[in-house]
Amino acid sequence: MPIRVLIVDDHGDFRRRARRLLEADGLEVVGEAADGASGIDAARRLHPDVVLLDLQLPDTTGFVVAAEIANGTPAPPVVITSTREGSDFEAMARRNGARGFLGKAELSGAALERLIA
Amino acid sequence: MTQSRAQDTDLAGQLFASRERYRALVAAALDCVVAMDHHGRVVEWNPAAERIFGWPADAAMGQDMAELIVPPALRASHRAGLARYLAGGEPVVLDRRIEITAMRRDGSEFPCELTITRIARPGDPLFVGYLRDITRRHVAQAELVASRARIVAAADDARRRIERDLHDGAQQHLVGVALTLRLARRKLEQDPALAAELIDEAVQDLATATHELRELARGIHPAVLTEGGLEPALAGLARRAGVPARVAAAPPERLPAAVEVTAYFVVAEALTNVARYAGKGARAVVSATLEGGRLVVEVRDDGLGGADAGAGSGLRGLGDRVSAVGGRLRVSSPPGEGTILRAELPCGS
Repeated sequence: MPIRVLIVDDHGDFRRRARRLLEADGLEVVGEAADGASGIDAARRLHPDVVLLDLQLPDTTGFVVAAEIANGTPAPPVVITSTREGSDFEAMARRNGARGFLGKAELSGAALERLIA
Repeated sequence: MTQSRAQDTDLAGQLFASRERYRALVAAALDCVVAMDHHGRVVEWNPAAERIFGWPADAAMGQDMAELIVPPALRASHRAGLARYLAGGEPVVLDRRIEITAMRRDGSEFPCELTITRIARPGDPLFVGYLRDITRRHVAQAELVASRARIVAAADDARRRIERDLHDGAQQHLVGVALTLRLARRKLEQDPALAAELIDEAVQDLATATHELRELARGIHPAVLTEGGLEPALAGLARRAGVPARVAAAPPERLPAAVEVTAYFVVAEALTNVARYAGKGARAVVSATLEGGRLVVEVRDDGLGGADAGAGSGLRGLGDRVSAVGGRLRVSSPPGEGTILRAELPCGS
């Protein structure tokens, strides 16, 4: 059973490339959202195995959304991503209920699987 | 007998002339010169004091100085200070400039610079006060503080914008290139045709990223200005402006860096305003000429006019920038008659 991913990021180009890369790695992208509110909604509706969540969103931050999702039912695992450096955000990501942080340039199916294992 | 009488008259005449001269010095002063005795009563009140406080001398003389010019809230401490000094205490306010609030005849208060000194003479002490209305100085200082804060805030905003442009633009493109190339690498053996397509896509993205970085760098500081001066830099601005624009005049020689940078950003901001506010069909003409040790920069358009220096058109920031190099900015924008923006920047030499 392929791992089902929800991508939450306001940059359409990134969503497209991430989808392409993850699908090439054998994952299934079940949905995309371009802001925090619809991301939270999609996480509840679609029951993904993992939410790939950008830090910078037009209506909020990834930390706030991660905490929201962690408090909901169901609470799929969240991996926070950004073009920024991971070392700065690892601790904060975990404190907000995420499984960890993954830099966008390092994205791969394998990396996601490792984080949610 | 006649001799000594004549001598007396002559001496008296000299004394009189000398005293009149000193009286004239005090009478002509722009600052208030007032004096009070040790009871705190007015014994001198010059014409400047009459003008600034609103009391004619004959009304002021003999009055209690505190009642006359000290705001009610401050009178007790004024009187206490005098009493303490007379009782042998150390003077707190004598012989230095202090800033206080003084009160006019109509009860209005104003900031005042004051020096009090004690007249050296035998007998009871006499205190002289020199007062200057510093309302204008306070207003100027407040504006200076405010404009400094605005300039710092503008610099912070500009940095935030650069960071955001880098993040949303070039960085996203480069991340995209990384993802594309990693996928191409993975597909290289099993699907070379797809890998080739992905590599082409990555090359395209890199070109876009490079172009965006160049634009961003130009917005931060245009290399053409540093390397070539105003002539090519203004030509570049006119070419890239959002409205038809031409440069009528530009100095071929190099000027001090601060002048060139200020002139450049004045023209850049003015052209942005023309594109934004002047309406369809407006055209702009840019000129920068040296006139008597100043660089005069003008941007004229034939659009709608009616420009408002306050309303977020960036004109206030421009004004701050121009003032910071000692220059002057003026905007003339009668409604329906187009706009002329003119900056005069001193060139030092």
